[in-house]
Amino acid sequence: MKMKKLRYWFRVLHRDIGYFFIGSSLIYGLSGIALNHLKDWNPNYSVELISFDTDLQIDKQDSSSTSVVGLLTEYGLEDDYKKHYFPKDSVLKVFLKGGSTVMLDLKSGYGEIELLKKRPIFYEVNFLHYNPNAWWMWFSDLFAVALIFLAVSSFFIVKGRHGAVGKGGIYIALGIIIPLIMLFLSL
Amino acid sequence: MKNILFLLAAFWLISCSPKSDMEQNKELIISETTEVPILTIAEFDTKAGDFVNKEVKVRGIVDHVCKHGGKKLLLVNDDGDIHVTTDDDRFSDELIGEEILVSGIVEEFRVDEEYCMQMEEDNIKNHSEGQTDDELFKKKKHSIQAYRDSMSAAGVDHLSYYSLVYVSMELEDEQE
Repeated sequence: MKMKKLRYWFRVLHRDIGYFFIGSSLIYGLSGIALNHLKDWNPNYSVELISFDTDLQIDKQDSSSTSVVGLLTEYGLEDDYKKHYFPKDSVLKVFLKGGSTVMLDLKSGYGEIELLKKRPIFYEVNFLHYNPNAWWMWFSDLFAVALIFLAVSSFFIVKGRHGAVGKGGIYIALGIIIPLIMLFLSL
Repeated sequence: MKNILFLLAAFWLISCSPKSDMEQNKELIISETTEVPILTIAEFDTKAGDFVNKEVKVRGIVDHVCKHGGKKLLLVNDDGDIHVTTDDDRFSDELIGEEILVSGIVEEFRVDEEYCMQMEEDNIKNHSEGQTDDELFKKKKHSIQAYRDSMSAAGVDHLSYYSLVYVSMELEDEQE
């Protein structure tokens, strides 16, 4: 009777806490996949590279923002100008709004525009994944504790052959053995 | 219960009450007498050694914010660059392309023979375990040699690299 009541409460809490943290699960699930593949892509921005050649002469010595904006005007980017500097004597780097940049070789006139566009949803979930502030840190701690509770409570939700002592036990064992094998192989 | 609430309210009022003129003046005097020196990026590498573990300000454009959590940024201008790191805060990538005046504590990183030997050991280990390819192995080997050559040319037993540990920043455009 006591176990029955306990099972009931575990089921109720597992369900309701599960509902409550659906949003957080999606945030960490999506950003987890996105950030796992940092080597393969930029998870926050889509990047478009545009090459160009220009005859416009920009000199490091008298490079006011006017001459740089003049360059941007050729490509309709004049309103996006933020700042510029010269990483090398013959190289100009221009920063545009939204993180985009323009690189120009002053000698050859060859340049590249790197246009960045925020990836919707991924940008936001990745932002949260990296704990932007203390409030989110505490909330994500709560989520982590909830995950532990969800894992532990799952032992008690179903009884019988589908439960933790039946088929469920095999899944539990596999879920523990696989990470252990990975760990053993990686060490 | 009422007493406890009263005490709590009194404590809150005391702790949140505005500072007296004397306290404000004291803070003003402290901030005036301990004015943080401003270094240019050009002079940072040569002068930073005098300010290790001390606070300085440097003005520059944010070229890059580390995409792995925003804990580092690269401050640049025509004369060079400086790495700024943070432990607690996180730099927003919206800062890229902004001119800022950053305040930070100068941190020194020393490269000496012991460090080179450790790098060499790690490089050989990583390459033999297949973690790095031939190109990266050679690149690292060259950079270790470059450190040794620099030390030998300067007749010193270590090279110092300086960075800033972030304290605060001001957006330059906002000041204008």
